[in-house]
Amino acid sequence: MTLLAYSRPFWPLFLHVLGAMLLFGATLAAFVAAAAGYGRAAFRSLLLAVPFWILMLGAGTWLNSDADGVWNGQTWLQLGMNIAGPGVLALLVAIGTAYWWTRSGNVRAARICTGITGVYILLLAVAWLAMSGKWG
Amino acid sequence: MFHITAAFFFVGGSVAAGILNTLAIRAERPSETAALLRLVRVTLPVIFVGVFGTLVFGIWLWHERGYSLGAGWIWASLVLWVVANALGGIGGRHQERARELAERLAAEGDVPNDELKGILADPKGNAVSWLAGLATLAILVLMIWKP
Repeated sequence: MTLLAYSRPFWPLFLHVLGAMLLFGATLAAFVAAAAGYGRAAFRSLLLAVPFWILMLGAGTWLNSDADGVWNGQTWLQLGMNIAGPGVLALLVAIGTAYWWTRSGNVRAARICTGITGVYILLLAVAWLAMSGKWG
Repeated sequence: MFHITAAFFFVGGSVAAGILNTLAIRAERPSETAALLRLVRVTLPVIFVGVFGTLVFGIWLWHERGYSLGAGWIWASLVLWVVANALGGIGGRHQERARELAERLAAEGDVPNDELKGILADPKGNAVSWLAGLATLAILVLMIWKP
């Protein structure tokens, strides 16, 4: 652990990947629960995704600042940043509709929540494929 | 890219199963506990694809990248991979036992009893699942650190 603590490049990458994997896991749990009609479980899982999103984005920003602009303009980085940044709107809308669903039991809210959560999972998959495959 | 995708399936699927399991433990009625534990089974195909994908693509990368056969961090990851899967399997059997009891109670009036509460709060059963998670986290540390 002491060695780990002093190897600075390890931490931002580790925390970024860990945050992304946890975010995917929480969103997947929300999607499975929403598709099966369990609004409260979907809502709680989506709320749990928020700190994971912060960890992923924060560590990613740290990683990029350590790289001193070496990756600027790369397609994979742009894609990843757009999904990590503005893409969070999909997560927030999913949380909002899940809340609406738990309060009202509205079927339309359930469908919207399931759909948006599914779309967000696809966006996360595009981001990890682009970043790990260094697209472009 | 395929190795990392498999890792996302492995870790993400395990996290999803862990979240649903935690929500099942906190549920008030046995019917809700049973339903959430049934949902854990939906995440299993994702975990299985990740488990086998990480191994197959990992061994392929080992050859492709020319890492030495004596690379200790790769061997340590393989051992941890076996440990994580073995512990995950034991934890899964514990959850199945809880689900079967919760389903029975749900059909008999949907009131929790001490036996269900005991299984859901069993420190040994839950510790096994947490240890599986720790082994998976240790694999991630080794894969990124490459000591």
